[in-house]
Amino acid sequence: MSQRSRLVLAVLVLTVLAMTCVPLLRAQSPELPPGPMQGKVTTACTECHESRIILQQRLSKAAWTKEVDKMIKWGAVVDAADRDGFIEYLSTNFPTDKPPYEAGKTSAEKRKK
Amino acid sequence: MISRRDFLKRTSAAIAAAGAIQPLLGWATEDSGVIPGKEGMIVRSFRFLDLEMPPEYANLFITPVPHFFVRDHMHEPSTLDAAEWRLAIGGEVEKPMTLSLADLAKLEPHTVTNTLECAGNGRAFHTPHVPGVQWQRGAVGTARFSGPRLRDLLERAGVKPAGKHVMFHGLDEVPGKVPPFIRSIPLDKATDADTLIALQMNGAALTKHHGFPARALVPGWVGAASCKWLAEVKVLDKEFEGNFMNPGYRMPNQPIKPGEAVRPEETHPVTALNVKSLIASPSDGASLESRSVHIQGAAWAGETDIARVEISTDDGATWQSAQLGKEHAHYAWRLWSHTWKAPKAGTYTILSRATDTQGRTQPATAVWNPSGYLYNAIDQVKIHVAA
Ligand code: HEC
Repeated sequence: MSQRSRLVLAVLVLTVLAMTCVPLLRAQSPELPPGPMQGKVTTACTECHESRIILQQRLSKAAWTKEVDKMIKWGAVVDAADRDGFIEYLSTNFPTDKPPYEAGKTSAEKRKK
Repeated sequence: MISRRDFLKRTSAAIAAAGAIQPLLGWATEDSGVIPGKEGMIVRSFRFLDLEMPPEYANLFITPVPHFFVRDHMHEPSTLDAAEWRLAIGGEVEKPMTLSLADLAKLEPHTVTNTLECAGNGRAFHTPHVPGVQWQRGAVGTARFSGPRLRDLLERAGVKPAGKHVMFHGLDEVPGKVPPFIRSIPLDKATDADTLIALQMNGAALTKHHGFPARALVPGWVGAASCKWLAEVKVLDKEFEGNFMNPGYRMPNQPIKPGEAVRPEETHPVTALNVKSLIASPSDGASLESRSVHIQGAAWAGETDIARVEISTDDGATWQSAQLGKEHAHYAWRLWSHTWKAPKAGTYTILSRATDTQGRTQPATAVWNPSGYLYNAIDQVKIHVAA
């Protein structure tokens, strides 16, 4: 194989890898809902665990307050000025009366014929 | 040349890479992903890994490992080398020891068929809602666990008179300032003939998601007692004090009203499982062609045996006994089945209710508690009968 064709092959392999990894990563953690705090909550709250842990909760504002404070104690990096905004964002988007989160299933390792 | 192990490793990596293409080609829903060795599992979370068994799999006495639920509190160990791995036994013992996997494999193995259930299974059904992984019906499964008895190891180490509790510490990787996942069990449960250091599950080495190379197996108790990726067993003079013993995994001694405060000294650790049943089929929401409906599932009761399972198709006004399956083991669920003839086409709710040999029966409403542990209300599925 010439050096040039090796390079072409490497680029091809990398492209395929990039194409396959991106959707996998997105599938691994759905986005948090839009809103003024979306970015900050995503950064602070999906560092240790993914968004599904948050998306599936249905909690009162009091319960969200306890969760946010617990996570801050456990190491979530939340600016003191943002704490109330986090609680507001989470309790507005994931209140007790919202329909349950629809969980997906793991797919088969190989496509079934 | 590549070794067989390398070959296997590479093969599974290749399979994982192939699986990664699926979402791109639209073969899978947006929510799904591939966890090698885990197929068709309900994804509560990929990171930390929390996978629920679809209830349809409760039609088998032994749950295959690919369908066995996974509950991780933290990150799984990033490196695990079976040759390097050691189990330390210490604390209130005469002779602290360090054992390799080979040392453990030399000890007399014992097998326990055990139904393992997450303490939070069914949490999603509590009203009002409580925080935590929102498990519905399938954070439960039954497997044959094998390995040396913990008792044999404790005997060799010689528990001092001061020893009252046995603490397990696994290799889970703890993020940030999160307290480590450490819990303890009382000495009498630790020295029970059926409490194991399990090395195998269903006749094969534990897989990583289930605690390779060794896990505690505390039969009949909530899954949290059966620490995965075990690295340390320590005999203590009292219950371990830490987040996952208190306030974690505790229940109020007396039922409380939602929102009511409960004092820590009025709580106790969650230990043995409740009496409970699960309808495997028909599936919830199923549309059936025939009026003859075959109902089946499983029922378990932690440390006690199932005495009977009853089915109701008239909202609990009358109950018919289901037939219990032949397969039977002390800590394992009992399969059951019942054939029912729907009187006419229509929509029905099927209820299943288990009773154990101590006379405990599943309630219509489970006892609410702040963390949603031990949910065990009567199970139900709604079906539509067409003909
Ligand atoms: C330093 C790591 C870390 C960060 C950052 C973090 N969490 Fe967590 N979170 C955890 C751990 C560990 C658990 C699970 C403990 C368990 O499974 O027992 C958890 C669990 C949860 C749960 C489930 C309920 C519970 O208490 O177990 C919720 C909800 C949650 N986190 C929300 C958040 C939110 C909101 C943020 C951002 C403010 C956040 N987390 C940031 C570590 C973290």
